[in-house]
Amino acid sequence: MTTPILEIRNLHARIEEREILKGVNLIIPPGEVHAVMGRNGSGKSTLSYVLAGKEDYEITEGEVLLDGENLLEMDPAERAAAGLFLAFQYPIEIPGVATMTFLKAAINAQRKARGEGELSTPDFMRAVKTAGTELNVDTDMLKRPLNVGFSGGEKKRAEVLQMALLQPKMCILDETDSGLDIDALQVVSKGVNALRAANRSMLVITHYQRLLNHIVPDVVHVFSDGRIVESGDKDLALQLEAKGYADFDGAAA
Amino acid sequence: MRQTMPVRLGPAEDTLIAQLTSVGASAEADRMTVAGLPTRRVESYHYTDLKTLLKTVPPLATPANQASAPALRVAGAYQLMIANGVVQGASTAPAGVIVGKSAGGVLTSRDDVLVHLNGALAREALTLTLESSVDPVIQIDRRCEGDAAHVADAVKIFVADNGSAVILETFSGSDAAHVGNHATYLALGKNAVVTHITVDLSAKASSHFASNEYSLAEGAKLRTVTIHAGAGLSRSQVFARFVGAGAHADFTGLNLVADGQHNDITIDIRHGVAHTTSQEMYKQIARGRSKAVFQGKIVVERDAQKTDAKMMMQGLMLSDEAEILSKPELEIYADDVVCGHGSTCGELDEDSMFYLMSRGIPKAEAETMLVRGFIAEVLDPIEDEALNEALNGIVDGWLLGK
Ligand SMILES: Nc1ncnc2c1ncn2[C@@H]1O[C@H](COP(=O)(O)OP(=O)(O)OP(=O)(O)O)[C@@H](O)[C@H]1O
Ligand SMILES: [Mg+2]
Repeated sequence: MTTPILEIRNLHARIEEREILKGVNLIIPPGEVHAVMGRNGSGKSTLSYVLAGKEDYEITEGEVLLDGENLLEMDPAERAAAGLFLAFQYPIEIPGVATMTFLKAAINAQRKARGEGELSTPDFMRAVKTAGTELNVDTDMLKRPLNVGFSGGEKKRAEVLQMALLQPKMCILDETDSGLDIDALQVVSKGVNALRAANRSMLVITHYQRLLNHIVPDVVHVFSDGRIVESGDKDLALQLEAKGYADFDGAAA
Repeated sequence: MRQTMPVRLGPAEDTLIAQLTSVGASAEADRMTVAGLPTRRVESYHYTDLKTLLKTVPPLATPANQASAPALRVAGAYQLMIANGVVQGASTAPAGVIVGKSAGGVLTSRDDVLVHLNGALAREALTLTLESSVDPVIQIDRRCEGDAAHVADAVKIFVADNGSAVILETFSGSDAAHVGNHATYLALGKNAVVTHITVDLSAKASSHFASNEYSLAEGAKLRTVTIHAGAGLSRSQVFARFVGAGAHADFTGLNLVADGQHNDITIDIRHGVAHTTSQEMYKQIARGRSKAVFQGKIVVERDAQKTDAKMMMQGLMLSDEAEILSKPELEIYADDVVCGHGSTCGELDEDSMFYLMSRGIPKAEAETMLVRGFIAEVLDPIEDEALNEALNGIVDGWLLGK
């Protein structure tokens, strides 16, 4: 059997004495796109933060492997260099850091960690321009401080632009569709689909079945109260849309 | 015949009294004998109790003829040097610059111990007259060399009407426990435009004291940048007076305070006539067990109607043991003015750190990026590229704990 890109075994995590993740099990083989749907507050973003290495959480049990490597032992920068990418539900605004400077630093830091040489400035500019054109991101916007003054939709597009530039193995998209207008949703979905590859996997967190018409998942998971309670093919999303979560997690809607 | 109770004098004060006496400054010697070094009870030294902080004072400096490389390399700059208080020979001055020497101190009288000491101990001053717009950056390298020494030096700069210049002063020297007492007097003529940057790069074992006095005539524009990135104990004082309408100044600074250090920037800005404006923007970054002090005083005199002055202090704590202090003071005697002040203090934003790191940027580099962002407001206005890079380099070096 090939090594899964992401393997989560019995993951428990808490924040300030409150257990949020209560035994997550998930295996994503190379090339597959998995969708996660679930109620507000069920722990989806928490899962994405724990995977990306945010400090606030205490992992009390479980194991996570990224392409066979122990993810939980790495700091967030090492995880990124190992190929993990999280498109944030709420991207952070950082005044005083120019977007271009940031993009270049990120690309070169990852290259360095992998023992590759720095990207030359012309090559970098070309890569940004290509990705920007595909995702309809105005390169003028990238002259501004990182995410500062970007509209909600622009922030989401900028996240996918970063993903396209960094070429990760494992992409986690946390509600990348929320805040996008109809056209932007098409553009972003196209950008994400263009990144689908045999050696790249994705975890797409969303509330809307609509996104999954554009980014068609191999597997859909229902997340409830800190764990995955149901998994199925893409039709599971349609059932959820029609019937709500109550049938799956037993709680009243 | 002393009326007041004599204060208990420590070894630093004993040395200072002997030094003042040896140069014939008996009035200053008497003053030191009566009052001693200022303690926290002296309002303007409340956070920088020199009596406690300055334990010893090394012997008065003997002349040094040092011709080492400048403390900070800025491509294309015109170099001048004062070593152990002695003005060194210089290469041919660029167009519009007259370089000279004068005897004695340069500051106007003011009841401040550092000003008194400099006035009594500085033997000669480097004088610069800038007659027009000066192209290259003028760099004055002020050094304390050799064995630990008490060094007093002085610089006097006149910028003619409509003249302009960028002046960089760096303070550095050998690794010994020097005490440097530096004075700069800078007068801006009508419509003169000047950027004056002072950077302390002296050894951690040393104490750095600098008093900069400014006078702004009608329509003059001044930007000051005071950077501390060296001495374990330092205090830079900025005394400015607006004497002509339409003058504007940006007073800015970076107080970079590392473990075991105590660094103080104290400013006293006087708007003396109507229609002048100033903006004060100081950033303090402290790490380890350290103390950063900013005291900002703005005085608006009775006739200084339509003054617009805004002061801001922002602090960034890189450790729990660091202390960042800020004391703003507004004294307003005119009624039609806009004046304000604010101060904030925080740590590096955790969410920002996580975001940067989540893109593969290692922790130290992410910190540097955020700190560079934090100080950008102070360094961005420095347009000369080589100079801007050199100043950013100082901050990067400081962050790496060089
Ligand atoms: N810092 C915190 N302290 C305490 N509780 C927290 C903290 N952060 C998150 N939580 C709680 O953890 C739970 C899971 O939050 P999370 O953001 O993971 O939900 P989600 O499934 O992503 O929801 P949504 O669909 O609304 O984005 C919520 O009940 C939330 O209030
Ligand atoms: Mg969420």
